[in-house]
Amino acid sequence: MSDATEKEPASAERPAEAETKKEPTKDEGEGLRAWGRKNLDPLIALGLAGGYVAALLATARSLGFSRDEGFYFSASSEYKRWFVLLLSNPSRAFERSAIDAIWQANHEHPSLMKSLFALSHLFLHDRFKVFQDASTAFRFPGMLSMGLAIWLTYMFATRAYSRLAGVVAALALMTMPNVFYHAHLACFDVPIMAMWTACVYAYWRAEAGDAKAPGIALEGPGMARPAGLNGAVLVGLVYGLTLETKHNAWMLPAVFVPHALLVHGRAMAKSAGRSGRLPVPASLVAMATIGPAVFLALWPWLWNDTLPRIQEYVNFHVHHDYYNIEFLGRTYFGPPSPKSYMPVMIAATVPTVTLLLFAVGAFDRVRAIVRRARHAWLPPKEKSPAPAGDRLHTDALVLLALVVPLSVFLLPRTPIFGGTKHWITAYPFLAMLAGRGFQLAWDALAPVLAARFAALREATPRLLAQAALVTAAFLGPALVTAHSHPFGLSAYVPFFGGTAGGADLGLNRQFWGFTTQSLAPYFAEHAPPGATVYIMDTAWPSWARMIEEKRLRPDLRGVGSPAEALFSIVHHEQHINEVDYNIWTEYGTAAPDHVLDHDGVPIVSVYRRPPRRP
Amino acid sequence: MSDVGERTDPEEAAPRASRRVRASALLAVVPLVGLVELGLHLKQTTSDVVPDSDWTAARDAVKAELRPEDLVVFAPFWADPLGRRFFGDEIATLARSARPDATRFPRAFEVSIRGAHTEELAGWKKVSEKQVGKVTITQLENPSPSKVLTDLVTLVRPETMTVSRVDANGASTPCSFQRGASAGGSTVVPQGTLTPADKFVCGSGHVGVAVLHALDHHPHLCIFATPQPGGVLRLAFKGVTFGESLHGHSGIQWLTERTPTAERVELAFSAFDRPLGEHSHKVGVGWVGYEFPTPELAGKKGDLVAEISGPAGQRYYCFEADTR
Repeated sequence: MSDATEKEPASAERPAEAETKKEPTKDEGEGLRAWGRKNLDPLIALGLAGGYVAALLATARSLGFSRDEGFYFSASSEYKRWFVLLLSNPSRAFERSAIDAIWQANHEHPSLMKSLFALSHLFLHDRFKVFQDASTAFRFPGMLSMGLAIWLTYMFATRAYSRLAGVVAALALMTMPNVFYHAHLACFDVPIMAMWTACVYAYWRAEAGDAKAPGIALEGPGMARPAGLNGAVLVGLVYGLTLETKHNAWMLPAVFVPHALLVHGRAMAKSAGRSGRLPVPASLVAMATIGPAVFLALWPWLWNDTLPRIQEYVNFHVHHDYYNIEFLGRTYFGPPSPKSYMPVMIAATVPTVTLLLFAVGAFDRVRAIVRRARHAWLPPKEKSPAPAGDRLHTDALVLLALVVPLSVFLLPRTPIFGGTKHWITAYPFLAMLAGRGFQLAWDALAPVLAARFAALREATPRLLAQAALVTAAFLGPALVTAHSHPFGLSAYVPFFGGTAGGADLGLNRQFWGFTTQSLAPYFAEHAPPGATVYIMDTAWPSWARMIEEKRLRPDLRGVGSPAEALFSIVHHEQHINEVDYNIWTEYGTAAPDHVLDHDGVPIVSVYRRPPRRP
Repeated sequence: MSDVGERTDPEEAAPRASRRVRASALLAVVPLVGLVELGLHLKQTTSDVVPDSDWTAARDAVKAELRPEDLVVFAPFWADPLGRRFFGDEIATLARSARPDATRFPRAFEVSIRGAHTEELAGWKKVSEKQVGKVTITQLENPSPSKVLTDLVTLVRPETMTVSRVDANGASTPCSFQRGASAGGSTVVPQGTLTPADKFVCGSGHVGVAVLHALDHHPHLCIFATPQPGGVLRLAFKGVTFGESLHGHSGIQWLTERTPTAERVELAFSAFDRPLGEHSHKVGVGWVGYEFPTPELAGKKGDLVAEISGPAGQRYYCFEADTR
């Protein structure tokens, strides 16, 4: 952790000092050490990301399958058939009949992640048997996405602010219980978070002007040097992959276009006035051209009947059903969505220390932008001294990447049923600003400590002091996150009273029936052989996979109605009370045989059909 | 967090420096909020959690004093499944758990955790309070309990009730009683109410007892009665003992009620060939009560007729009534 005390944050224009130091090499060992020092930041990022992915893998088997995962398992299994066909009979694979038959599965979402799930299953499960559970193979690309998000968050924050900020940003992202839950899943939310961040990072690097890339046009005082061709192409490719990950990507122009206008607008106007041509940043051009091309190229479903199918895709998401979600004791099922939903849920699920650090960091950067704006707009005579180093490019981008995905949830027609996962793309940027906030806190604390403890003027003790402060800040969130597993959606931060506090406030406790698997010990002990279980909110493919992987006793038979079942389960959500009461009607009792709870809060009730009464 | 060069004004320098020190001190403690979170988390996940043994001990304490006519409630409402589980079928009966309201109970045991209380008992007189571990048992007395003489919900069987569909021209078609399997339920929500196994079947509708998921998400045991298109559903309850009033509630499954409309379901009571009262249920009002005074019938025993009419789509209309 480098000490960025009392200096302006580093940036892509001016990368963190530690990254650019060149060490002399004397022999091979020295060369390796020099390489390590040179690549210290990517290595730290890799260590953090790798450790987290390992934790996800270690805990994957204890987390049941959500409804959506079940559907994606099925779709990915279909796609796997196509990849097998592609390897065995490529010409047949490209025939319309083969494409349409296979890729119609779950065609309401782009195919990139499901293709990766399929390939992971094909190679890491079927062929090389790296993973014993098929589900872990399906989930692995999602977990790697989380690793990528951590890597990017660290690198972005380190380059933008400082290494200490980078470490804290990564830790802040890693210790969000909701994120930890979603990072396990074979779904698209964490992947889109990673790709959103990747896209913003690639754009930032490209537009900041990599030292090696040739600059083109649009240069001026206080401005970033814009993209080289390579950087721009890379941005276009990454944007295409982001589009192909999830539809959140269509919001990214709302980040990049205002950013480009803000940062380059004056120069663009000047250039247009001089030459009559409007120079558009190359990255934007690449995103507008290469991005959609990649989107189409990687989604076989769109290779035939392209326009109608795109129209269908758009319609599906524009007119998406509203599902039920409880918020402050009320179940919402349609517009208008409560405006307080997003801020309250962030406050209730993101560790409070992270939010406070974010507030400090965000205040710092917003204040810098305001000062920059004042400086730009004031008449020359009234101008205060110019800001020390222009960071408008970075600050505006980070804030836009944070605000755009959040602001959608202030619109009355935006569905809120997905809880926090639908604005998860904002979290890496929230974490980055928390990192910046931590750096500022350290900057405030360090002189006090140094005055009191002379040893802290040395690098190693100072590093240890930083580590102690980081531990003090994030041990709590880390334990909360670990404790939340496998009930990540039930977890609320300690300042909101934890899981019980969330229940008191009437906040959603779970969705999509993933907690069924946590009943395994109960069924193992109490269910007679071949017992029938009404599986309630569990999707059939999810149930089938749990049985196949022996996560639940394999002799259990799932059924679709309490009337058919010896055991009936209820996932506790307010709108699902009707199922609870239906079981009372069917079984003639209101007393569950078992209640699975988390910190004393009911998660799933299990009813057992009473013996037939005379 | 300065990132611009600042002009210095000697007169402002001292207070600014003082503010800066305070801001620095404040900033420095921000990361330590994590320690507070840690402390709270440890408390919330250990000592705040009610152990099973406390629930069991609370059950034993209530059981020792419980009378059949007593009410037992659990607070907060989210803890209800735990209460029902630990108190079991004998104490957490359907009649108590899915009560129409609390007026019929002379006494209540409120079993609560986390300092929660049941709004329903707010006007009741507190008699005693006992702490069993982390569970608080409060005994309360109903200031004006009502003695139920006949509960119509208990009469829904062929021996004590007939059901028929009466056409606009007055022709009556009896609805047969069927014992069988319940219908409904799936792995998607909403499912609607389960059609009970034992019921009178009237065309595509039915009359039977089931638990309603009311608009307030609370359960109520009641008589589901499907309004008949172009006719009236006639329920005749036999051997009803009348009292000073006829007291009841009506509701429609929450999924329908959550989108209010102008539709109404009409419920008309009569006995001894004279009307007792009519209750109109407007879609969207939730579980609502009604009461018709019947002092002239007090002490009499006879048939009570309930006639239901309304839009055919309201198959999840449910009502309950008792004489008291």
